[in-house]
Amino acid sequence: MVVTINPTAVSILPLLVFLVPLVFGGLIFALGRLGKIFRHGLALTGISLTLLIAVMMTVRVLNGEVLTWWGNNFYVDGLSTLMELAASVMGVIVVVYSMKYFGAKTEIEEAHPYTSMTTYYGQILVFLGLMNWTCATNNIIMLYVSLEFTTLATVFLVTFHWNKPALEAGYKYLLLVTVGVVFALLGSVLLYSAATPFLPVSRVLLLTELGTIATKIPSNIVLLAAAFMVVGFGTKAGLVPFHAWLPDAHAEAPAPVSALLSGIVIKVGAYALARTISVFAPHYGTIPLFIAILCSISMIVGMMMAMVQDDLKRMLAYSSVAQIAYVIEGLGMGTYLGIYGGLMHLINHTIIKGLLFLAVGAIIYSAGKRKISELSKVKFKMPLTAFAFFVGVFALSGMPPFNGFVSKFTLFLALGEAKLMWAAIIGIITSLFTLVCFFRAGYKIFWSEKEVHAVGAEAATATEVPAAMWVGMVLLAIAAIVLGVFPQIMHPLLDSATKCVLRILIGG
Amino acid sequence: MGDLITTLMACHFIASVGAAEIRNLKTATLFLLVQSLLLSFIIVAFAEKSQNYTLYWWAALTFITKVVIIPALLWWHIKRTEFIEVKPLVSFVVSFIILSVFLIVFYQMIRTYVGFIAPTVEATIEPARSSLALAFTIFVLGLYVLVVHRDAVKIIIGLHLIENGVHLALVTLVPKLPVTTILGIVSNVVVAAVMLLFLTESIYKAFGSADTMKLSSLKR
Repeated sequence: MVVTINPTAVSILPLLVFLVPLVFGGLIFALGRLGKIFRHGLALTGISLTLLIAVMMTVRVLNGEVLTWWGNNFYVDGLSTLMELAASVMGVIVVVYSMKYFGAKTEIEEAHPYTSMTTYYGQILVFLGLMNWTCATNNIIMLYVSLEFTTLATVFLVTFHWNKPALEAGYKYLLLVTVGVVFALLGSVLLYSAATPFLPVSRVLLLTELGTIATKIPSNIVLLAAAFMVVGFGTKAGLVPFHAWLPDAHAEAPAPVSALLSGIVIKVGAYALARTISVFAPHYGTIPLFIAILCSISMIVGMMMAMVQDDLKRMLAYSSVAQIAYVIEGLGMGTYLGIYGGLMHLINHTIIKGLLFLAVGAIIYSAGKRKISELSKVKFKMPLTAFAFFVGVFALSGMPPFNGFVSKFTLFLALGEAKLMWAAIIGIITSLFTLVCFFRAGYKIFWSEKEVHAVGAEAATATEVPAAMWVGMVLLAIAAIVLGVFPQIMHPLLDSATKCVLRILIGG
Repeated sequence: MGDLITTLMACHFIASVGAAEIRNLKTATLFLLVQSLLLSFIIVAFAEKSQNYTLYWWAALTFITKVVIIPALLWWHIKRTEFIEVKPLVSFVVSFIILSVFLIVFYQMIRTYVGFIAPTVEATIEPARSSLALAFTIFVLGLYVLVVHRDAVKIIIGLHLIENGVHLALVTLVPKLPVTTILGIVSNVVVAAVMLLFLTESIYKAFGSADTMKLSSLKR
């Protein structure tokens, strides 16, 4: 395969893409208390500007450029823009959705001294800034630093309701992910020190140089560092057995935050793995095998735990554990098809899980309940939410013609190519059970006969949510269908991102 | 210089075990303070020995954050809550015996097979060799604290032991780290510590206990 070396261009955009949301986040913290109009206006302006910058970068990257700033310390290629574009789009949808989701009641009465709508929007913007920083940095230690900061920025979003379960979830999230990510730092340090004899000091920390030393440093160091990094970034991504924090945090956060956590935050871990482990995977047969085993366990455990949940949000959270395993399995294979499929599923899962969490948020907003057993007693007159939910369910389980099918099929092909057929079979079984699990939930909520216990009483009725909430869901649902029917739309960006990983891999 | 570094490292190890095992939280915090102070001394000694003055940044930032800010916050927290630890899973005597045997064996193992962790020649000569072995030992000690102890303050101490271990490994293996990166790592640790302490305090208020084992309402 011919991988061309792209020209690099010094540009301020990689800096702006994370400074703009950070500055707007700071402005919201400073001015948000003045009124709703300030909070909403600043949040929308900030996130729209970020999206604009991300789009500008994407256009330039698709034209074959690589944007750098401050030597090579900031380095934006196809993979970075892919992540930043996904984060900005989800950011816009989540901010718009939040404006209606937190009704006047939450904004005034339930506001806690530590969490308010001001800190909420401020933290979302700050998180997006840090997320874009993670994807723009080219320094292996700064990758750890910014990755850990994305965790810190989202902790008080998880504890937003400030009740016992939320505090517990936030505490577990902060502690477990912090400890986990320290392992990644240790792995980075080992790689760094092993690389020092082969590279000049100014370039030794750069992620783009990893490929040149991949075959030079001793294999035991690579495997040890890879193991530490899988533990570290795997904790961030929520792989079994490092997933203990994930269902709590994703279930106890407010629904739009859950969409952000499942859609974007765990993907940062996958991104970091793509930047580090994928570089070594082709040279060491044990790494793809180890990752395939770990991911298969993740799929089985995540799917089985999702089956037994009665709480809709916990069900979705456990399914994230299973779905992120598909992404990492692909990225860990180190082949073009594997990385392509992994990145494709990364984007598709962002769309699908964002969609499902927003739909569940809409259900909670209208019905005021989270448990499937309780929701099955409520009459739903929410056609748009139901449409969005079922599109999400089919796409999540990899049914054609939805987007999940294309990415999962690509992954299974890649697994077959890599002689890991058993892993593909586990993936297919997991997808089928996902369909059973979520279709059952959807059926119980939207279609089943509503039993009414008291004689003469009417079942409670839930009506459709405001436009600000359903617009985002419907857009994501349409994206899930369109990308399923015409997957070639995403091809230029995915192809560029995959080649970026491969280019680092061959060293260039 | 070599003797001084060895002495400092031995004291660092003893202080770490003290911070991990002492049941009175105030005393344990003091031990953590001493442990971090010794870490900054070790970094200064390394800087003098290798004439590498960027390490002074490390030492200074370690001093400000880990000797001043974090122990002060911990102390302030303990003063307003309880200073006797929630009983850990393993009793003091058993824990002490397990730890001393295991840590010494682990230390010797790493020190003997240091080439497995760092292939460079610099890592195999003293004092880098002992320092690396010590770093990994402190790291494992911190993990042990996280697993065995139930008290939220002890969990924070365990997290700091882990981070101090990794930072010692970082200083030993990568002495020429740019200042911006050092700042990033250190600010990270401080923010994480402050947030963890803030959450610990909120949990103490909400649950009426510092026992992390009671945080199981969500378990399933």
